[in-house]
Amino acid sequence: MSRSGVPRRVRIFGLRPTALLDLYRWRLGRHKAQELLAGMGIAIGVALFFGVLVASASLVGSASQLVHAVTGAARFQLAARSAAGFDEGLANRVGELPGVKVAAPLLRENAEIIGPKGRQSIQLVGVTASQVFLEGAATRDLGSGALLLAGGLGLPSGVASDIGARASRPVTLLADGSAHTVEVRAVLGSQAVGPVANSPIVVALLEVAQRITGRPKRVTQVLVEPKPGADGLVERELRQVAAGRLDVQSASQELRVLKATATPTSQSTALFAAISAMIGFLLALNAMLLTVPERRRFAAELRQQGFGPRQVLLILISQAVMLGAAASIVGIALGDLLSRSLFHQVPSYLTLAFPIGTHPVIPVTTVVMAFGCGVIATVLASLLPVLDLRRGRAADAVLHDAGEAGQDISKPAVVGFGVTGAMLVAAVTIVVVLVPSLSVAGGVVLALAAFCLILPIFLAVVRSLTPLSERIRGSMLALAVVELKATATRSVALAGVAALAVYGMVAIQGARHDLVNGLDAAVVQYLDTADIWVTTDNNFLTINSFPADGAPTAIARAHGIASVREYQGELLDVGTRRLWVRARPAGDRTLIQASQLLHGNLTHATQLIRQGGWAAISSGFAEEHHVGVGDKFTLPTPSGTVSFGVAAVTTNAGWPPGAITLNAADFRRDWQSTAPTALEINLKAGVTPAAGKHAVEQALGPRPGLLVETFQERRARYEESARQGIKSLSEISTLLLIATSLAIASALSAAIWQRRTRLASLKSHGFDSRQLWRSLILESAILITIGCLDGAILGIYGHALASRWLKLSVGFPAPFSLGLGIVLLTLALITCIAVAVIALPGLAAARVPARASFQE
Amino acid sequence: MSALEIRAAVKHYRSVGETVRAVDGVSLTVAPGELVALYGPSGSGKTTLLELASGLLSPDEGSVVFDGREISSLSATESATYRRRDVGLVFQSFHLIPGASAIENAAIKLLADGFSLRDAKRQALPWLERVGLGARAGHTPARLSMGERQRIAIARALANEPRLLLTDEPTGNLDSKRSREILELLRDICRERQIPGLLVTHDPQATMFVSSVHTLRDGRLHDGLDAELAVAPVQ
Repeated sequence: MSRSGVPRRVRIFGLRPTALLDLYRWRLGRHKAQELLAGMGIAIGVALFFGVLVASASLVGSASQLVHAVTGAARFQLAARSAAGFDEGLANRVGELPGVKVAAPLLRENAEIIGPKGRQSIQLVGVTASQVFLEGAATRDLGSGALLLAGGLGLPSGVASDIGARASRPVTLLADGSAHTVEVRAVLGSQAVGPVANSPIVVALLEVAQRITGRPKRVTQVLVEPKPGADGLVERELRQVAAGRLDVQSASQELRVLKATATPTSQSTALFAAISAMIGFLLALNAMLLTVPERRRFAAELRQQGFGPRQVLLILISQAVMLGAAASIVGIALGDLLSRSLFHQVPSYLTLAFPIGTHPVIPVTTVVMAFGCGVIATVLASLLPVLDLRRGRAADAVLHDAGEAGQDISKPAVVGFGVTGAMLVAAVTIVVVLVPSLSVAGGVVLALAAFCLILPIFLAVVRSLTPLSERIRGSMLALAVVELKATATRSVALAGVAALAVYGMVAIQGARHDLVNGLDAAVVQYLDTADIWVTTDNNFLTINSFPADGAPTAIARAHGIASVREYQGELLDVGTRRLWVRARPAGDRTLIQASQLLHGNLTHATQLIRQGGWAAISSGFAEEHHVGVGDKFTLPTPSGTVSFGVAAVTTNAGWPPGAITLNAADFRRDWQSTAPTALEINLKAGVTPAAGKHAVEQALGPRPGLLVETFQERRARYEESARQGIKSLSEISTLLLIATSLAIASALSAAIWQRRTRLASLKSHGFDSRQLWRSLILESAILITIGCLDGAILGIYGHALASRWLKLSVGFPAPFSLGLGIVLLTLALITCIAVAVIALPGLAAARVPARASFQE
Repeated sequence: MSALEIRAAVKHYRSVGETVRAVDGVSLTVAPGELVALYGPSGSGKTTLLELASGLLSPDEGSVVFDGREISSLSATESATYRRRDVGLVFQSFHLIPGASAIENAAIKLLADGFSLRDAKRQALPWLERVGLGARAGHTPARLSMGERQRIAIARALANEPRLLLTDEPTGNLDSKRSREILELLRDICRERQIPGLLVTHDPQATMFVSSVHTLRDGRLHDGLDAELAVAPVQ
């Protein structure tokens, strides 16, 4: 209370907070459409930024939740080096070790589950009651799990819903090359199993899983929780038990391996997130810039009424914060929708090697960052009227200005931006030549350079168009060029957004195109060793084994079959790399794909691998272990550490962590496994693939777990899976293209709409609607083309950098090709979408009655 | 030589529930070389009369004739051609393109008539010189005073060598000294070119520079300046 007894009210610079609200309410009432437009721009920017950030965080975030939900208090794991696993008795021994509190054995096997509504790839996990004692979120509430799951399966609710499975009803499980009918004992929701409810993990009791997978008394993993303070002791004990044939790892090793595997995807997504953030920020900024003239008048009117500069500043900021906050909340909701519906798709190549959930993870920091960026962009853009508050400037000067202020661009600014852009391009060139791994960072810097260079390019284009426009009679080019010069700042900002979008599109789509071409070449040469392939279903890495059971002999006897060879494949963890081991029969006509060879002699390397003890390794693995052609390296195989010679260095064949190609005989010896993961069949001359396929199916008999495919069929499936890994990138870039085109179009339309009075004045001087419309379309097209040109030129450079990074740093097969078609298509798309969208409001603005020029 | 003749023109506007007679039987002739001032309070119909004269509006009754042609019966295209070829229009708020130079602003309307910008500038330059801005042809409006901006607008109105000058509050945003300069300029141009000029204004000092003065009140035309409107001393 004040001394006079009147309640002391909160005031900021003499203004009550409620007055700020009232002023904004008044503004909303007077400028609904303008505020809505600005709000929409901000919301779209925030949505784009938020959606991409969530997509990028979700993959590892959801896997992290999943791993911790399963491992619980476990600190270590004893893990098999192959899917064949190890003896269950060893797991029992671990449980009896002095330092061990809980030892929970697991059997994990990739499988396919078929329900009434569909089928899905899953990982079957066999567990014991001891899993409950680890108290992971997924299992701590399954105290009666043994009873619950007895004899059947526990299905996560996500999988159950997708395939239409229900409790107490049977489903079919394809595993180990056979089909099994199993009852669903329970559908497990998130209340019971936490994040596992949205994962592709199907749970069974260990015995059931062993029976289904054909691995009696085998486990692939033991999760270990040491007694308090016994970590060191347990690690030593486990190493003794492992005896060099099993891996002793941290319980969260799976997560580290996944992070390493998903790094290329994450980095590409991060690049997109950075570009999206910039575009989102600029969209928000642009949306606000359109309201600047009116805000300046509003500020001048307030000062005429006696408001002080600080009060005006406070009012401007408070209104921007209110608008920014409301629009950012809408943007986050939209972004969440985007991330759930479009961006959050786990690449199928990863689900084969990792049980990744589909539960989107939204870190609080992401929400805060998106909200903060939206509000900051709004506030920054709304601060332009602050220039009118400068000392010495008349309070109502803006009311007497000639036109829209702040549109002039000074010469030092042009030179500054031009020099900065050129220096950034030069710096990127030097850095990426010296350090190829920095190519992605170089890509982000190039985006910035594209934005800096737009200013000198814009002025150069406008200047070069000026003499042309002055000579052409009857064209509206002159009017368009004059208008472009008149709104230089806004034009540059809009062209800059177009440049950024085109840059992102051209760079990423180009690199994607190279990658697809590289992968296609790799696939063709990998698969064309055989006319017919027999594999377990949905197994594009060819790593799921099945018992041969005399199948090769039966097939070899069939009509039209020339030869049958047993191919073996496996994933092998070496450090944080989950390597793709490809054991090719010595009889294959090619062991190494010529298109993937980076170092070594193809004929000599093939000869070395055929004779045994040699392998072709991918470049990333070779660099990490500092080995080259002719050197020796070791692999931790199920039979112990084995030494191989490096016959050749190849690309990673499309599998990010890397690939190793060796002789099937070496594999059988070192992995102690004779079960094939594929049968490669060649046909006699004159036998068609269809006839050959039929003959193989007849020879195999009823084996529903096995899939017989011709080379072309398998190639198509393989390519689809390989491309699916980079599908989300395409979707994000397409969304970016559409969002940017629409945003540029809406910003341009709004800018055109604001010029109605001037257009009316031109009409009163005798211009007709068609002439004005042509001028508006020309002006927009010039603006967008400038942005497209700048973005495309630097985008091609960015594309080269991205492909170079994919090839040198990640080891992907991504030979650079210019892809001019993609560049031109992108340019045409952006220009067409934007101009088409502008055409309508442009026409409406051009049809403004000339009388409006008298009515200001 | 052509005169502007407004004959018994009537123009109605429909407002909420009522019909307003913005122009109510106005007859006015502006002879070549004359600059006629039209005074009147806000809403009296001054701008409507100007719109009728420029062909932007057609009268409900009566007619507007220029050079023997019935302006009120022109089609939209003919009306645009009339404004493009015969009329020079000057507005209170100039309607200049902010980032374009003075000469570009002065030349801009000629583009509508199929001129190239180079030819348009060539034709507009003498007019820019005539209004005293020849040395500032390359300056943008932001670097010029309010009076200079209005001079550009006048040069623009004259660039097509019009046969009729229509001006709507051309001194509304100017101080007294600049207003006098502009009014003098308009008078001189009408005299030199022997074209009729209609000046809609609130500026009492305009009476010094015009051939005759009329006042519009409630849509009706009266000769001379109403005492109520003469709020500032006439110098």
